[in-house]
Amino acid sequence: MLSRLRDILPWLAVVILAAWGFWWAGYDRKPDVVDGRTEITWYVMISPLRDLYEADVKEFERLNPHIKVRIIWVPGSELNAKLKILAAAGQLPDLFFTGDVWLRYLLPFKRDITDFVLRDAEEMGLDDYFPEILAAMQLDGRYYIVTESMNLSLLYFNRRLFAEAGVPEPDETWTWDDYVRAGQALTKPGTPGNPGVWGSSRVEGWWGEWIIYVRQSGGDIFTADGQRCLLDTPEAINGLRFYLEKSTKHGISAPAGFEPINGFVNERVAMIVGGHVNYWLNYNQKADLDWDVQLLPAGPVTRKGGELAMAGYSVSKTSRHPEEAWQLAKFLTRPEAVARIVARGSLSVRRSVAEAQMRDARPGDRPPNLAAAYDQFQYGQPIPRHSHYIEILLQIVQPEIDRMLLGEFGPEEAGRRAAEAVNAFLATFHAQQ
Amino acid sequence: MNRRHPLASFCFYAMLIGGALIMLLPLAWMLLTSLKTYPEILSQPPAWLPADPQWENYRTVWDGFAYYRLFLNSCFVSGMVIAGTVLTCCPAAYAFAYCEVRHKALLFALLLSTLMLPAQVTVIPLFKAFAALGWVDTYLPLIVPAWLGGNVFGIFLLRQFFLTIPKSFIEAARLDGASEWTILWRLIVPMSLPAVLTVVIFTFLWSWNDLFNPLIYLQSEELVTLPVGLLYFIARAEQLTGGSIGQQPWHLVMTLATVMILPVIVVFAIVQRRFVEGVAAGGVKG
Amino acid sequence: MNIRRADQFTFWLFAGPALAGFVAFSLWPMLYSLWLSFCQYEVISPPRFIGLRNYIHLFYYDAAFWPSVKVTLMFTLVQVPLSIIAALAFALLLNQPVRARGFWRAIYFLPSILPQAAYAVIFGYIFQGDGGLLNRLLALVGIEGQPWTMSSDWALPVLIAMSLWAFGYPMVIFLAGLQNVPRELHEAAHIDGAGAGARFRHITLPLLSPVMFFNLIMGVIAALKVFDLAYAFSVTQNMPPGGPARATLFYGLNLYQQAFGFFHMGLASAMAWLLFLFVMVVTVINFRFSRRWVHYEN
Repeated sequence: MLSRLRDILPWLAVVILAAWGFWWAGYDRKPDVVDGRTEITWYVMISPLRDLYEADVKEFERLNPHIKVRIIWVPGSELNAKLKILAAAGQLPDLFFTGDVWLRYLLPFKRDITDFVLRDAEEMGLDDYFPEILAAMQLDGRYYIVTESMNLSLLYFNRRLFAEAGVPEPDETWTWDDYVRAGQALTKPGTPGNPGVWGSSRVEGWWGEWIIYVRQSGGDIFTADGQRCLLDTPEAINGLRFYLEKSTKHGISAPAGFEPINGFVNERVAMIVGGHVNYWLNYNQKADLDWDVQLLPAGPVTRKGGELAMAGYSVSKTSRHPEEAWQLAKFLTRPEAVARIVARGSLSVRRSVAEAQMRDARPGDRPPNLAAAYDQFQYGQPIPRHSHYIEILLQIVQPEIDRMLLGEFGPEEAGRRAAEAVNAFLATFHAQQ
Repeated sequence: MNRRHPLASFCFYAMLIGGALIMLLPLAWMLLTSLKTYPEILSQPPAWLPADPQWENYRTVWDGFAYYRLFLNSCFVSGMVIAGTVLTCCPAAYAFAYCEVRHKALLFALLLSTLMLPAQVTVIPLFKAFAALGWVDTYLPLIVPAWLGGNVFGIFLLRQFFLTIPKSFIEAARLDGASEWTILWRLIVPMSLPAVLTVVIFTFLWSWNDLFNPLIYLQSEELVTLPVGLLYFIARAEQLTGGSIGQQPWHLVMTLATVMILPVIVVFAIVQRRFVEGVAAGGVKG
Repeated sequence: MNIRRADQFTFWLFAGPALAGFVAFSLWPMLYSLWLSFCQYEVISPPRFIGLRNYIHLFYYDAAFWPSVKVTLMFTLVQVPLSIIAALAFALLLNQPVRARGFWRAIYFLPSILPQAAYAVIFGYIFQGDGGLLNRLLALVGIEGQPWTMSSDWALPVLIAMSLWAFGYPMVIFLAGLQNVPRELHEAAHIDGAGAGARFRHITLPLLSPVMFFNLIMGVIAALKVFDLAYAFSVTQNMPPGGPARATLFYGLNLYQQAFGFFHMGLASAMAWLLFLFVMVVTVINFRFSRRWVHYEN
């Protein structure tokens, strides 16, 4: 009898351990109701504002005792991929961080919050937002995002390098020619022990800079209805050519692949065209970086063409607690929250906060020329709201631009190849829309 | 045997040591970099040894990145996978080695064909199925296949090994009235310990280093395993330095990479002789 | 009769889980993914049958398909032979009588068991263009560095170099094969006056050929499927997957992008099946050719 028991014992142990293991592996870690409170999930990008967000959540839970917030932090590079995987698994977070660029792309996952917005318009201070921002929150007249932050393409420059080189700082009349001339005066070759300085950065990769030049030349990426790609038009090619010639002809940018990493912060690069408002935090953390902003230099056809984009929060379509999620969204974008973000170094999406920011600006605040940043509004253009925009740019267009920069062919060829490939893509996947 | 010519001996040792250096140098560099301060990493000419070993980097990573949790998660997943593999591959190998069943060869061939199947072919339907079951963002998709004989290589290896055991042992045990189950676990497995150990080690390594499956099935921060955690860390590493560097804080990234590799090296150091022999013995016969 | 039935019972009891797993995790997904490859499936709506359109799109309209095939083939054609040669060379080396031979073998084997993500981090740092270790070393001797990982010319060679570091597995397999070469043959040949080179060519190599074949098959299959290394590499370099101008857009990486990046799951399934067919064809060809050069001991 005893020996029988001894035989069974190890197997019993195995079974018990295995059962525990499977339970631990599979139990639902995300119940909807936690100790009487409704739990909602908030999906947000990892950023230096982490402490602000966590403080906000604590305050929100204090004001709304019946709600518990579970934060899901995501690295920026995984933002959309993870969101879609969660959507595929039927586990969309209740509230998620997103931008207007992805508005049409992620539309199937977003709840139409027009009813909430109109209901709480006064509490939110809806008319406090800049009109361009309000427009970006909507698609065909319906609201889908509540805005927290925004990005405007600007000209960033390093005042110390300008002063050292004796070049007058950029002003609001600058054109491409002024930009090139200044860049050439600022570019200094390196010596052993002292890497050189480039007049301007050239942002490689698919986000932004060459789009500015294309648009300032009067071209664009898509037709207005998004049915055809326009990168093979002379205007677009002109923009691509300027982008390429910054290094090959004018010598103001590093050749392909040699762009100094974080060049502006490390003062290896004197100017940036485009940039991103999110970097203001990083720039301001370097105490001796004397930087400023100015309107984008005007292109041959227009000064308009810089990006005007915004980011905020959407309530997911399948959320079981849209009201709670909406409350959180409102809390996160209230004027105090926006003011705190702006105080760290950013542009405001709310007019009241923008006015306060400019009023309370002290000498030594960076950037000094805040007025120029808000002035740039009129010259900003939203990114095309094509549903497959990111995929098209990343997968199809960017490799051609990479090869142009590497010298494989010229801008005409690049534009032609890109347009051809994009039109082929649009033809085959258009049926889906 | 014959004495080696001194020149040949020299060349031989040169190659041996040179090769070993190439093998170890990146690892050594990783370890040394993890102990430096950030400005030291950028120094020109590159400094070999850190001037003042920054053991605090390990503390920073430990505190700021919940290495503890990642490690335990990886341990849990690997542990469950190893348990499931041993518990289902041994009986399966036994069945294919000793039971006379019609079409046994065909079934075995079918099973083996999956070795050639790239994971990418099955991943989408599996993901869809697991999602429908509600198993995404749990450990179940990583563990359950191991409990259903998912390790075909293990079955193959063990079967080959079992076949080398003389049938007389089994006949004798059967005559003694032992059940097949007893024969398997009390006779065959103890006799095949090198092969079983090999399977265990292979399974551990594969599971510990697996990047793809945790990447798609584990979405919550607290569930993620080491390889995925390392990649996510790179995105967040700048936060730990308060953004004051403006570049990838390689010293911290190397610290995390070091602690990620360390358990593997420790386990390997312990079992290395058995392992290398085991691979040799099992990998080629038959 | 009784034994037969007992055997059957045992077989299904013991092998049942494994066979069930085969059906659930290999057979069914395989067939379902074949079905998906003829559908348009974008996750937010159910799969819709569209016939061969996915395949046509891949062959004629998709901008990334053929470049990814090219990258993967180039990688395979270079990496596999180099890896096998290195593995063989060091196996021969480590087969010689040396003190602490096990220790040396362990050192050579170590890199191949490390996680690919860690490699990508270490080598990414070494090969980084601006301020990377290699460029700084080159600067010491006055050579101007290349933007290795960001250059479309060098990114793939860098990845090949990275993956070569892990030749431990095939090396150990070769070692096992070398143990099987009987000493007596070598001694007999030595007595007959054959030099080391001749002995290698006529004794060692033929007897090693089954092992070489095994390594070749495994190596080719692994190279065609590469994902971990390529993905980790692009993350650590902060680049979109595929590197500059698609220089490191491996087939496996492209597949992942299509499936989990852009959610074109039907298209990705088509890609997966094409890969599978290609692997089968290559393996069959290898087997056919093997009759010419592989000598099995009979």
